[in-house]
Amino acid sequence: MVRVWSAMVSAIVIFLLAATATAQPCKYLVHGVVTDDGHHPVPGVIVRLMPDSVGMATDTTGSFSFSNVCQGTHKISFEAVGYKKLEQATDVTADKYFSITLSTSDNELGDVVISGEKVHELRTVLTDELKGKALLQTRGATLGESLKELPGLNSVQTGPGLSKPVIHGLHSNRVLIINNGIRQEGQQWGSDHTPEIDPFTANKITVVKGAASVRYGADAVGGVILLDPDPLPTTPGIHGNVYAIGASNGRVGTTSGMLQGAFGKKLEGLSWRVQGTYKQAGNFETPHYYLFNTGLKENDFSGTLGYKKKGFNFSVFYSHYNTQTGIFSGAQSNSPADLAAKMARSTPDVPSYFSYTINRSYQQVSHGLLKATAGYTFKNNAKVDMTFGRQEDLREEYDAGLPFTTSAALLAKPQLSFTLVTHSLDLVYTSAVRSGFSGTAGITGNTSGNVFSGLRYLIPNYRDYNAGAFAIERYNRGKFNFEAGLRYDYRWLRVYQRNANTLQLYNTTYGYNNVTGTIGATYHYNAHLSFTGNVGTAWRAPSINEMYINGEHFSNASYEVGDSSLKSERSLNTSLSVNYTNSKLRITADMYYNKIGNYIYAKPALASVTIISGTYPLFLYTQTNANIKGLDASLQYDLTNHLTFQSKTTIVLGYNESAHDYLVFMPANRYENGITYQGHKLGKLDEPYIGVENVTVSKQSRVPPNSDFAPPPAGYSLFNINGGFTMPLLKHLLTVSASVNNTTNVAYRDYLNRFRYYADDLGASYVLRLKYSF
Amino acid sequence: MKRSSIIMILAALVMVAVWSSCKKSEKDVQAPLPDAETITTVQLKAVNVADSTDTVNAKWVQLVPSNPQSVDTSHAYLRLKKNASYTVNVYFLDETKTPADDITTEVRERANYHLVCFTPASGLNLTVNATDHDTHTPALPVGLTNLATTTGASAGNLNVTLHHQPDLKTGDCSLGSADANVNFSVTIY
Repeated sequence: MVRVWSAMVSAIVIFLLAATATAQPCKYLVHGVVTDDGHHPVPGVIVRLMPDSVGMATDTTGSFSFSNVCQGTHKISFEAVGYKKLEQATDVTADKYFSITLSTSDNELGDVVISGEKVHELRTVLTDELKGKALLQTRGATLGESLKELPGLNSVQTGPGLSKPVIHGLHSNRVLIINNGIRQEGQQWGSDHTPEIDPFTANKITVVKGAASVRYGADAVGGVILLDPDPLPTTPGIHGNVYAIGASNGRVGTTSGMLQGAFGKKLEGLSWRVQGTYKQAGNFETPHYYLFNTGLKENDFSGTLGYKKKGFNFSVFYSHYNTQTGIFSGAQSNSPADLAAKMARSTPDVPSYFSYTINRSYQQVSHGLLKATAGYTFKNNAKVDMTFGRQEDLREEYDAGLPFTTSAALLAKPQLSFTLVTHSLDLVYTSAVRSGFSGTAGITGNTSGNVFSGLRYLIPNYRDYNAGAFAIERYNRGKFNFEAGLRYDYRWLRVYQRNANTLQLYNTTYGYNNVTGTIGATYHYNAHLSFTGNVGTAWRAPSINEMYINGEHFSNASYEVGDSSLKSERSLNTSLSVNYTNSKLRITADMYYNKIGNYIYAKPALASVTIISGTYPLFLYTQTNANIKGLDASLQYDLTNHLTFQSKTTIVLGYNESAHDYLVFMPANRYENGITYQGHKLGKLDEPYIGVENVTVSKQSRVPPNSDFAPPPAGYSLFNINGGFTMPLLKHLLTVSASVNNTTNVAYRDYLNRFRYYADDLGASYVLRLKYSF
Repeated sequence: MKRSSIIMILAALVMVAVWSSCKKSEKDVQAPLPDAETITTVQLKAVNVADSTDTVNAKWVQLVPSNPQSVDTSHAYLRLKKNASYTVNVYFLDETKTPADDITTEVRERANYHLVCFTPASGLNLTVNATDHDTHTPALPVGLTNLATTTGASAGNLNVTLHHQPDLKTGDCSLGSADANVNFSVTIY
């Protein structure tokens, strides 16, 4: 850990020295907007400024900007699927604005190779993106925490180190994560089973809010999170970046580095990237005490090798994620009696001091991903891509107490251990754009095997096979874009068990199949106003814990009984989005109504079960019809050229139709309001900004009775401050961003934090992030 | 388009090959580990200090982990004489093994992490105090050996818990979490 801090200190010293150094002539702003023939903004266009830039994608308004561009001649290029590539030389001697019109590439012959970043393929489903400055501001945080920036998203937490994204009230196995094009297959059967992903591998995070099974398969009931890296470089040379991030709360140090390059001459077409992250945190701190044993350690690395030639492209990617996370000691209660004793206390029953030591209980998780792709782009720009993936997820959980045994080997073993190995193969065909029509079709397949070992039983072994076939067609005509898709999925599941008395092996086989579809349209009323509507379906098979859990669930202080006869959960999601943009005002309002049939949940049986470790309330897994409706709204208004007001609102209403009552653990109303000053130049600093925001979360009043151990906590209101700038440093770019979270050090508890029964949430934290790109 | 269909078919074949070639280690479900012990039984042995022939045994049994149907409380009762003192020893056993494993030894070895607590229901004229101690300074009670004192005739439950309290043992029974938490029915006559 000392290493991390000394790296941080030296980074700060370098930065201070740099602030006094002479300015480089790299101070210009190159920006602009990309529209199509019909003057509509085109999002997702890859804009490259060569030789310096790795490229960026235009945002939803078609805008792009590069700051700190050096004086001289540059080449600027624009690429997007379905459009002719545009490339031109430009002399930069002052700030420069581009207004670019791209024409569609119907029957375009020749050398166009679409190497741009992937545009997500369901365009009429509600979508949000986290990238650029907003993404930088979340660097160092967990994936779940990072995404709370976006309207409609929340996170469900198990203490400070474990956080999972929540989309429109749904999470875990109702949210699908696509990491670098591969369905993330980890253990997803608990709120403490967080995504096994290093967010630094991604340079853009796209969130699809709504039923998206048509393209992405089962489990996309709440939505999909897509993490995408930048495309590999194409121009020869070596570039990279280094991050150094420090946060005061938990004394968290994070360093991450990336190097990438492309070869020229004989090896032209060959490119590579290596990346690694190290993170360490100690006990986090609430306003009044430390949370004992909440430290974590994480180390990750990844590497990519790509080759492109004459329409063919190949790549191999490997990433490895490894983490050890302490579980807050004050939250260990086996039974409701323990829980009640802990809730009766004003502060947790554990020591309060800072330490990086991780004691029992903790979890140790590793995830390896191997991905190989091969693709071919036809002369008419149609393409076919094949993707193979292999994932190995190992999760080991060590309980607070050592196991009762006299064997030294068993004493060192985790109480629970699961190994999940998944192989997948996808084949996707993307058609060329022809008279306004374009489409995507594919077949996907994957198989997983889960092996349990350990001292206390939780879920059985299983093998599953999943296969699907889909087709999505789009049609653009005038002010309308239409989209429709259809998919069929089949899932085969065999569960392997051993009879508790005879020890005889036996198995049970299940089959599930579902048809899903989507239909949607966007209407561009004019260049400022557009409407998008979509009706989509999604499905999910019952997960193994919902079918087979049978016993005390320690983290919930409950006794849960699964049901192996549960049917598939199906959702029908209707959404409407209104988008208005002018030179001063940007408004997005997303409304949705997600009707979920056979919604699976643990229903309180209003009975108790007595076993040797105590008396537990009984919960039975069952199905109901539920609906979740809500509103995500965001507004930005430029008060002056430099001052912007921004506001976000997230409202989620979950209802159990059969029980005529609310759904438990739905997010409370959340409001974010802030004001940002964005300068252009401050002394030697470029693009300086400072902003203050207020985050207000209401008390959750929509809760069913008898389904929770404590009433929802009071609402709370936090103030956060963000600021930053960029500056040239040794001919390259240094980006600095700083934040103060929970500035006024408010003691609060969040309804979606599973540890709210035991302790307050985090107090103030000062965060400094440095990014040096070269 | 012709080319792409050929690629599609090839890919499907590769898919089948990949699927059938995987190791199927999930078919071999781990059998219970012979060295792993679970508490199946909480046993109390009370010996009258004044009369060692007055010995009472009681036990609370659950033979299958997590299974409430395997709970046997038919021997979970104690009959104690009024106005008497008893030495009460607690034993934690794994009776799925033959002979039964004595987990009490491990609790005693990790005495600094463990605490056995006795909570008589109100109306039961019984007090229980630990007579054994761990190696903390000052030493804290463990509760595997105790002195129980009865007064007037009465009846009620005696709750017995085994708490594990790593790094936080202070003698307070509300700390940590319970590996065992059972009720014995006590009659004082």
